[in-house]
Amino acid sequence: MTAHVIIVSFSRGDVYYYLNGKQNIRQGAVFMCDAIVTHGLTKRYKDKTAVNGVSFNVEEGKLVALLGVNGAGKTTSIRMLTCLSKPSDGTAEVFGHDVVKEADAVKHLVGISTQDTAVAENLTVKENLEFMASLYLEKERIAGAVSEAVKAFGLEEFVNKKAKHLSGGWKRKLSIAMAIIGEPKILFLDEPTLGLDVLARRKLWTEIEALKSRMTIVLTTHYMEEAEALADRIFVMIDGRIAAEGTLNELENRTGKKGLEEVFIKIAEEGK
Amino acid sequence: MKNRAIAFAKRNLIEMSRDSLSYIFCLAFPLAMLIIMSIVNESIPKEAGMTLFRIDNLSGGIAIFGQTFVMLFSALNVTKDRTGSFLIRLFASPMKSRDFIGGYFLPMAVVAVLQALVAFVSSFVVSLITGYELNPVGLMLAVAAVIPSAVMFIAIGTIFGTLFSEKAAPGLCSILISLGSFVGGIWFDVEGTGGIMEKIGKCLPFLYATKAARAAIKLDLSKDAFLIPILVTLCCALVLSAVASLLFGKKMRADLS
Repeated sequence: MTAHVIIVSFSRGDVYYYLNGKQNIRQGAVFMCDAIVTHGLTKRYKDKTAVNGVSFNVEEGKLVALLGVNGAGKTTSIRMLTCLSKPSDGTAEVFGHDVVKEADAVKHLVGISTQDTAVAENLTVKENLEFMASLYLEKERIAGAVSEAVKAFGLEEFVNKKAKHLSGGWKRKLSIAMAIIGEPKILFLDEPTLGLDVLARRKLWTEIEALKSRMTIVLTTHYMEEAEALADRIFVMIDGRIAAEGTLNELENRTGKKGLEEVFIKIAEEGK
Repeated sequence: MKNRAIAFAKRNLIEMSRDSLSYIFCLAFPLAMLIIMSIVNESIPKEAGMTLFRIDNLSGGIAIFGQTFVMLFSALNVTKDRTGSFLIRLFASPMKSRDFIGGYFLPMAVVAVLQALVAFVSSFVVSLITGYELNPVGLMLAVAAVIPSAVMFIAIGTIFGTLFSEKAAPGLCSILISLGSFVGGIWFDVEGTGGIMEKIGKCLPFLYATKAARAAIKLDLSKDAFLIPILVTLCCALVLSAVASLLFGKKMRADLS
């Protein structure tokens, strides 16, 4: 059945539209260009609220950075957006798909590289990539996707090396390559450069930068210069809430400080 | 077409094939026991009338004994994945609970069949040396007859791996390996001993698995020797597989809550 949709008007984030002749309203609408939309997203554990009523939009094709100190709720937010954790309250949509009600659809759209490099240690680089590709792609596309990922991250010389024998930096690259091999529309990178030396970090930045044109990226990091170098938009999380958001310029103007580190400290102090 | 269970099974099989412990426990150890017990059997005077370690009895017992280590490795596979972040990463993929269960069961079933083949081929060689010839048809039938018990042990291992930690699960499996060996009639005649040992043996599925394997080797397909034991083993395999599947699914949902 074909659905006929006519968008009538936009008003303050709401869309008024006709679907099969019936008038509807979508509050806090998901525009075509929104990759992620959350409303009051909350995660409560027994004795702690890790994420507390977070609402934000991420525009398609942008790289956004979630900044915050340990326990600010960055990883929990990512877990909810990748269907690894159910929200206690509120909603989250990934390209219009609800992360709870349409988890299967969401899982086809997202790729994640977790904080701990999640690779199969006894498998070679190629086998890891082939395995992950086989979960998302048709058989005939696997070989092409593997060689593309190997090339994108310069993994050529390690293709037949077991993952457990890779250095931290190369393991991290493999983990990201595994996250993108399923051709996700959104890539979540949870502290991708944690524990890497400065050269490995800079190299990885270049590779992340190259991915920006292909997908929306949500990155969590403790490194201010990383967010400054890579992010189109920055969200600062304090105690489970989004304390500030905007481009670096917008945040600098708001706080009257120069540089993300100073901006972050100012916001963090205000948020206490 | 994407078959995620097969892809995951392939990954698990490769991981296991690169772990030397799996060769030691799943192949070398049962084989060593077969040789040692055959030597012991040769030392027992014929007048003693002790036939438990004669190759036609020993062979089936060794096949089941080997499967207890398949149980151990099933538990290890699951706990290892649960301990690291790899399984969590896979939970974010389109894989479903049934893909995980299929992926854990299939490679272990392959290992169990290979193990049975090695045990029975070795038994055939031993039988030629000792002069007590085994029927090759019986041995081939036995390979099929130990499949239900293999599934049963894989299911038990998966249950332990799902419920317990990387430290607790192997310990519990070791207890079950000892218990299964004793009351499963592998190392002594449980039914001949009678009493509480026989009662415990008949309440657990291991004795039936051993009896079915031994009867298949001897081509004794009678109701008491083969049919009832294989049916009991099959039922236990199905029930335990369903339990393993339910528990893993429940654990997965709990981890994602």
